[in-house]
Amino acid sequence: MTDATLVLAALDGDRAAFATLVDRHAPPCLRFATRMLGNIHDAEEVTQDTMMRVHRWLSRYDTTQSFRTWVMSIHVNRCRTALLQRGRRTRRIVLDEPVVLLASVPSTSANTDLRDAIERALAQIEPMQREAFLLRHVEQLTYDEMASATTAGVSALKMRVQRACERLQVILAEDRHA
Amino acid sequence: MLDDERLPSSLEQAVDLLRDGPPIRDEWRSALDVQLSQQVTRRVWHVRPMHAIAACAMFVLFGGAVTATFLLSRDNARVASTAPQSMVRFDLVAPSAVRVSIVGDFNGWNAEALPMRRSGDGRTWQLDVKLPPGRYTYGFVVDGRLVRDPSAPESGSDDFGVPSSVVLVSHRGGST
Repeated sequence: MTDATLVLAALDGDRAAFATLVDRHAPPCLRFATRMLGNIHDAEEVTQDTMMRVHRWLSRYDTTQSFRTWVMSIHVNRCRTALLQRGRRTRRIVLDEPVVLLASVPSTSANTDLRDAIERALAQIEPMQREAFLLRHVEQLTYDEMASATTAGVSALKMRVQRACERLQVILAEDRHA
Repeated sequence: MLDDERLPSSLEQAVDLLRDGPPIRDEWRSALDVQLSQQVTRRVWHVRPMHAIAACAMFVLFGGAVTATFLLSRDNARVASTAPQSMVRFDLVAPSAVRVSIVGDFNGWNAEALPMRRSGDGRTWQLDVKLPPGRYTYGFVVDGRLVRDPSAPESGSDDFGVPSSVVLVSHRGGST
């Protein structure tokens, strides 16, 4: 069943239809938020908020457009807001080196090392570049879909993705040699 | 170069790992279902036009002095039935909740002060609160989490503050 069909059913009061939409779209939203915000707790909170807003505003969705893009447009905004809020909160608690060292555990595989490295690298690049990179290469949206979701122009998004790739390559290379 | 959308080969393996997202936790999904079920109540109430007609008739006939039931628009609807002396009934559909209380300006936002009771249908939590005329900001505490009344007007943007709603109690004993 298509997203548009499920939306129409949900608007008629079919809870199972909306639950199916959540099943389809919450996982990518949670993944995007986790990579954008850097922690699962904030990501779950933001994703829940997004799903609530999707539900609340469902009647505004134009079924001729991509539901996934519409959901992502809401979600991107929620992540941006959370990033601003979290930025204010985390400055107080991050820079405690002894605690960070105590909390560190040895990695168990090369994949874990690489995952940690790319997550650290993502955290170091500009949020707008990170957002564009994740939407393009992790969520695999087209540039037109990204433009709808972010209200940025396609050429600006391409520039952000390119710069993100360049920065990530540099940071990962430095990380390997550290 | 900007037209080249290919991912650099040195990033391919890392991006593959990023595509493997975190799992959806059962507890998280259950909490979301509770929240969604509260929003659904807005639609249920919205499709009861007879309530609106009955409320209007009663208000015209009795001037709102005895009882009143309001059904507002789809976007900010909440049903608030009142009795004499400005008794306001708060209803919340939260079938999965274990404990629900109401907090607001009228009780110092104390989650212990006004626990709600589960109604006979096992799904709805109710409480009658006696309030003097005025404007009150309030919310529900559902299993420790503060949530806005999904069927009442918001007190303002909840983007940067706690979610809350507004109820107005008139001098005639009505509420919206």
